[in-house]
Amino acid sequence: MNMFTRKIGKNVIASICLMGLGQLMYGQIGKGLLYLAILACGVLYAALRGFSDLAGFFTLGTKEKDAWFGIEGDNSVVMLLMGILFIAAIMLFISLYLSNIRDAYETQILVEKGGKPRTFLEDVKKLLDEKFYKTALFLPVIGVSIFSILPIVFMIAVAFTNYGGNIVPPKLVDWVGFKNFIQIATLSKFAPTFGKILNWNLLWAVSSTFLNYFAGLGLALLLNKKCVRGTIIWRAFPILAYAIPGFITLLGFRFMFSYGGPINQIIMDMGYRAIGFLDIDAKWMARLIGLLVNAWITVPSIMLLATGILTNVDVDQLEAAKIDGAKRWKQFTKIVFPFVLFSTTPVIIGQFIGNFNNFGIFFFLRGGLYMDGYFLASDTDLLINWLYNLSINNNYYNIGAAISLVIFLITSMISLLVYVKSPSYKEEDIYR
Amino acid sequence: MKRFFGILLVVLLTVGQLTGCGPTEAVNEKDPSAQTDALTSIYNGELERNVTLRILENDTAIEQGYFKQLIDAFNEKYKDYGIVAVDANMDQRSNLADDGPYGYGPDVLYQANDSIMKYVEGKHIYPIPAESLEHYSQIPEHAWDAYKSEVDGKAYYMGVPVNVQTSMLFYRKDMLPKDWETNWDKNKNKVPDMVENWNDLYKYSKSIVESGTGKYGYMRSLYDVYFSSGFLFSYGGYIFGNQNTNPEEVGLSAGNAEVGANVLLQLASVMNEESIDDSITVNGYSKIADGTYFAMMTTPDVYSLFIKELTLEYEKKGMGTESAKALAEENLVVTGLPLLPASGDLTEENPELIPLKAMGGINGYAISAYTKAPNASLAFVEFATSYEMIMKRQELLGSIPAHSDAAKATGGVSEIVFNNLSEGNIVVMPSITEMVQVWSPAETFFTDLAKDAFRTSDKKYTSLEELKNGLKVVDQQIYDAIHTLSN
Repeated sequence: MNMFTRKIGKNVIASICLMGLGQLMYGQIGKGLLYLAILACGVLYAALRGFSDLAGFFTLGTKEKDAWFGIEGDNSVVMLLMGILFIAAIMLFISLYLSNIRDAYETQILVEKGGKPRTFLEDVKKLLDEKFYKTALFLPVIGVSIFSILPIVFMIAVAFTNYGGNIVPPKLVDWVGFKNFIQIATLSKFAPTFGKILNWNLLWAVSSTFLNYFAGLGLALLLNKKCVRGTIIWRAFPILAYAIPGFITLLGFRFMFSYGGPINQIIMDMGYRAIGFLDIDAKWMARLIGLLVNAWITVPSIMLLATGILTNVDVDQLEAAKIDGAKRWKQFTKIVFPFVLFSTTPVIIGQFIGNFNNFGIFFFLRGGLYMDGYFLASDTDLLINWLYNLSINNNYYNIGAAISLVIFLITSMISLLVYVKSPSYKEEDIYR
Repeated sequence: MKRFFGILLVVLLTVGQLTGCGPTEAVNEKDPSAQTDALTSIYNGELERNVTLRILENDTAIEQGYFKQLIDAFNEKYKDYGIVAVDANMDQRSNLADDGPYGYGPDVLYQANDSIMKYVEGKHIYPIPAESLEHYSQIPEHAWDAYKSEVDGKAYYMGVPVNVQTSMLFYRKDMLPKDWETNWDKNKNKVPDMVENWNDLYKYSKSIVESGTGKYGYMRSLYDVYFSSGFLFSYGGYIFGNQNTNPEEVGLSAGNAEVGANVLLQLASVMNEESIDDSITVNGYSKIADGTYFAMMTTPDVYSLFIKELTLEYEKKGMGTESAKALAEENLVVTGLPLLPASGDLTEENPELIPLKAMGGINGYAISAYTKAPNASLAFVEFATSYEMIMKRQELLGSIPAHSDAAKATGGVSEIVFNNLSEGNIVVMPSITEMVQVWSPAETFFTDLAKDAFRTSDKKYTSLEELKNGLKVVDQQIYDAIHTLSN
């Protein structure tokens, strides 16, 4: 439907001029008043604080607070947040205004076809019937906007300010354009460390995703075998490992691999010297332990997922393949694995991103070390750990936000590429 | 429609962000020359009536009942004014800068000097008219300095010192050699030499290790900056310049700090690999209790943990709880830190000895800038830091007073520590926010140092020059961490 191909009636023009007026002229009193009330609320909000919030969004405050002398000042962070909220409110208001025009136009078409304008009750019924998706999605959309989109927009905005370090409220924050990104890109100390950490981060993300995925799938296949007895009990053990909070497990493993831990005690009791599994010289050993500990934490969830998916494998197809002489490995690579891979590609991408940004694993296992050849990082740190050392540890929220955006770009590009190339995207209709 | 929203969003965000618009310099309405003194602006001397003061206290003080006695006594004294002090009921490490501006913070807070002083930058705490406090002269200058800060060109005290926190030597008296009075007490002062100087402690530790019983003498996780940095300070090292106030200057490698690092390296050689990571920090209490370790350095607030472990150990051997505890208290001795050899050589016979300058902290009270009752809050601080309350705190919590009269009256360890503080042998942890960047680089160095004692062919620190270079790298890392991203 294109509203510009038909002649616009006076009632629609009235709705364009004043929200709800067209509806009132059609006798849709309830809806017209509702639209008018929305307009009144919008105007009131804009007049009372909206425009000053918008001005605050651009200035981020002009007067610094001084509690010692009773001077009330501006809080830049709150102003930034309120400014973003007002922009969101403007967008919501515009969409409601457009819906008001569209509604008036739809009513005009209805009337032109000889129908009668819908009553308020009929509109409500419609929202509960053929347009129920709108009613059902309203609250989730609001929730996602407030709890997910707003913090992301706030974080993006912070990346373009000088918020952090010594500049935190009550000090006033300013917009600095691309300065933070330029600072990250041009610091000569950053580049070598960034390269080293990025390489390790990619290796870590790929290898841990690969290990976790195939270990989980292997375990699920093993426990799916009819010859395995007590599968319920065997399945329960990994779930116990999964149920324990990750950081507790990590601290437990840190103790186990420490010089005073049980593993070294056994080694020493056998007459050998203690091994520094996670100490300052244990670069690859610590990386390997990290990989295995991460598998310990993650494999159970993959196993559970794969177990569920394996129940949907076409048994007839497997039987047919068996009759045709396909060996077990062939059955797995040609039937079972493509089916599981198709269903779990989004999960693999999620795992990849989760592993790429796995903050806890090396923070708890081997945190607090800065190595030679690294700028404020260790040889097991991932980009997210380095980001913590550089920014959060130092309250440089602006730099943290800028690096987060860079990490986001890297992970989103890789994920998108993997997804587009995957059977889940290319062969979407095969398993339907 | 989508395109319209997209364009609108892009326009609104880019106008602000890409141009970096907004004032480059905030309009500051304050004119420092026109300002009166902050103290007279804040405190008018008239106690606010009918107010409730929320006090943030240390968890141990609350658990041991000291805090209840404190607020009960205060509330009784000020009942005519309607002033009531209550527990702020917050985490003892809660951040005033996060809570205060939104009305959730306490009125008065008790924290360590480095925690309190980080609130100065944003003026989250009020300055205190220290010189007008009755007990001002009882607190040594080193303790007051931990709370001194320059704001708007004027020096202010931001808190009132209460306790000193520093390292002590804990050892098992019953593990001393039987002949210590004849062979290990050269100066015949009835104090074993191995707890008086590091050379004898090293010698004794070595003899225990070489006896092949699987036991050790002195043990400590060396990565811990709080305990290891004192060895650097003793030979001229420091953290920040201008008495730990200038982050432009980092000096862990200053003076002959490498000699101190070498002392740590020698000590590591009579320990085992557990000195590299946190193993000794974790299991030290039980290892002292079961007799595996003879001595370790830690802070006095964990005394009860040692006693608990040692009591359990004696109980396992069949003793009753009371007698086991009494024996534990008799056998576990807490004393000041041993003296260091001026040369840094732990094998030197009859060396010239110098004191070990240990890192420490000063806990104290401060007043939130978000309180509605600054005068009543000041009255509370004055009451809580009076001689009577400091003595009661010492009695119930075993804390070491930062007040000379209370330290003298308590005697023993308190007096030793207080004297160390007065003589400048306790280096108070820097009160500037940049201190947060010291831990990781310094921890890495001390871990590497301890590891080096156990490396065989690829040792990194074989000369004082290499140790100096290692410390210079630490200085540079700290400097970079502070300044690379500073705005």
